[in-house]
Amino acid sequence: MTTRMSADQDLVRHLSEVSVSVELQTPDMTLNIGPQHPSTHGVLRLVATVDGERAFNVQPVIGYMHRGYEKLAEVRNYPQITTLVNRIDWVSGYANEVPFIVAAERLLGVEVPERAQFIRLILTEMARIASHLVFNASYPLELGAATPLFFALRERERVLDLLESVTGGRFHPNFNRIGGVKPAQGAGSATRKVIQDLPKGFLAETRAAMDKVLATVDELEALVAGNEIILARTKGVGLLPPEIAAAYGMSGPNLRASGVGFDLRKVSDYLPYGQFEFRVPTGANGDCWDRWWVRLEETRQSASIIQQAIDAIPAGPLLAKVPKIIKIPKGEIYVRAENPKGEMGYYLVSDGGLGPYRLKIRSASFSNISILPWILEGTLIPDIIAIMGSLDFVLGDVDR
Amino acid sequence: MTASPSETAPAPLEELATALAQAVGGSAELAHGTAKIRVNRDAWVEAARTARDDFGLVFFSWLSAVDWSNQVEVGDPLAQPVEERYEVVAALADISSGLIVLLSTDLAKDDPKVQSLVGVYAGANWHEREAHEMFGIEFVGHPQLIKLYLPDGFVGYPLRKSFPLLTREVKPWPGKVDVEGMPGQEDEDEPSTENPEA
Repeated sequence: MTTRMSADQDLVRHLSEVSVSVELQTPDMTLNIGPQHPSTHGVLRLVATVDGERAFNVQPVIGYMHRGYEKLAEVRNYPQITTLVNRIDWVSGYANEVPFIVAAERLLGVEVPERAQFIRLILTEMARIASHLVFNASYPLELGAATPLFFALRERERVLDLLESVTGGRFHPNFNRIGGVKPAQGAGSATRKVIQDLPKGFLAETRAAMDKVLATVDELEALVAGNEIILARTKGVGLLPPEIAAAYGMSGPNLRASGVGFDLRKVSDYLPYGQFEFRVPTGANGDCWDRWWVRLEETRQSASIIQQAIDAIPAGPLLAKVPKIIKIPKGEIYVRAENPKGEMGYYLVSDGGLGPYRLKIRSASFSNISILPWILEGTLIPDIIAIMGSLDFVLGDVDR
Repeated sequence: MTASPSETAPAPLEELATALAQAVGGSAELAHGTAKIRVNRDAWVEAARTARDDFGLVFFSWLSAVDWSNQVEVGDPLAQPVEERYEVVAALADISSGLIVLLSTDLAKDDPKVQSLVGVYAGANWHEREAHEMFGIEFVGHPQLIKLYLPDGFVGYPLRKSFPLLTREVKPWPGKVDVEGMPGQEDEDEPSTENPEA
């Protein structure tokens, strides 16, 4: 026993001598993340300097998805541009069309029929629910919880089916027209004109679907909010103070999670949101957890808005009288909307022609991820995934 | 909370725009619910700082440019000739009232330079990099004025009106030559979309 003890002591003495004589080298390493990585929701590449488990000087590299829509818009006429813009944020394609169409209508001076505005509002909120459900599917998955994905995507599929039944498209509806919404879906032949409104039973089915969405959101909350691992990985991680968020142009749920109760649906009138009761949920700390919770709560509010809008939808025409060939008078306008990802706006400069002279597209995700170098500075590498996922961006919305 | 529609009730917006224009020595334009304040290039950064500190426009929405050009390679030319210039536009918003103002300045074509706003709004960083690569505008004092979307070796400034759109050079649009005639029908100049019974 004693001999063994002394042998151990000898070993300890020997090791301590070795460790002082060898200097451990810890050079910084450059870590390349992406562009192909499941947590990037597209093709985002990060180049980070790594010191042990911490990342410093994180530089996002974007542009792999840049399609040049602002240039392409200059060679198209106004009705053709909706097909471009609903490909910007494809998770909520319908919501992208609305601010552009409203900008064009206001420059043209068209009054949109109320029924068309209500249909736009219902479909926009459905797009928001679809987008937030994708977030609620993918974010827990990135943190290791696979089950919520099945609940969330099942509901999203139901919502997308309803969207498809009205517009004909799940992702790229192309349903808005200058002056209203598309009056006839696949309508008629050359000899018999069919005017089709919303498909039969759509409003009742949507109301029922919203009840299911509300039930699923409760289930998701129970699944995720009670998960110790998710709590540990999101609470207090990726803190974002409101003044930094505003200076970077962070908008939407990311801004509201930092405690700023700013929602364009409350302050702007691009759609008749003023008629409905809904809350603007805000977070207390501005961490990943708050960003998840705000989106969950917004899903409930959207479902409630849709049910109120179904109760209040008026009868009437779907399209205002507009000229067959649309020329928009000279002028410029900036219209923004509260999209699922944040503020989406179009700065439209018209010279009186068939298409815009300049169309600047302000997309939410672009500003939302421009904060990555700030928010990822000095974080742990596993937290990079937790923080990026919580910002809920889509690369099509970043690169345009 | 009820809605306070800013786009149709321009009174508070008009007040803000006039006061801001006065404070920064610019001129205010208000049309279609969009307020734009034009300032001189030298007053650019100071104007943004005043807007942020004295008028509460703490939210940096976007920055971009318009190439006002009488010679265009793409799209329709301007109906009336304009003074050729680059117009830099920045959108600044108040996140408590929801009002938004566009700040604009003109840059000469042969000297497209302006001071960077990064010192005032951190979020201007990427927007200025985009405007730099797309329009060739130099933002003096920008910490890292490198390409954002485009590959490093890219030559030219794609959003300038003098930059051709190559797909349109290869194939004109819309292509009437694309349209196949119906069998048994004579080729018409334009296929009719009119409803014959209407």
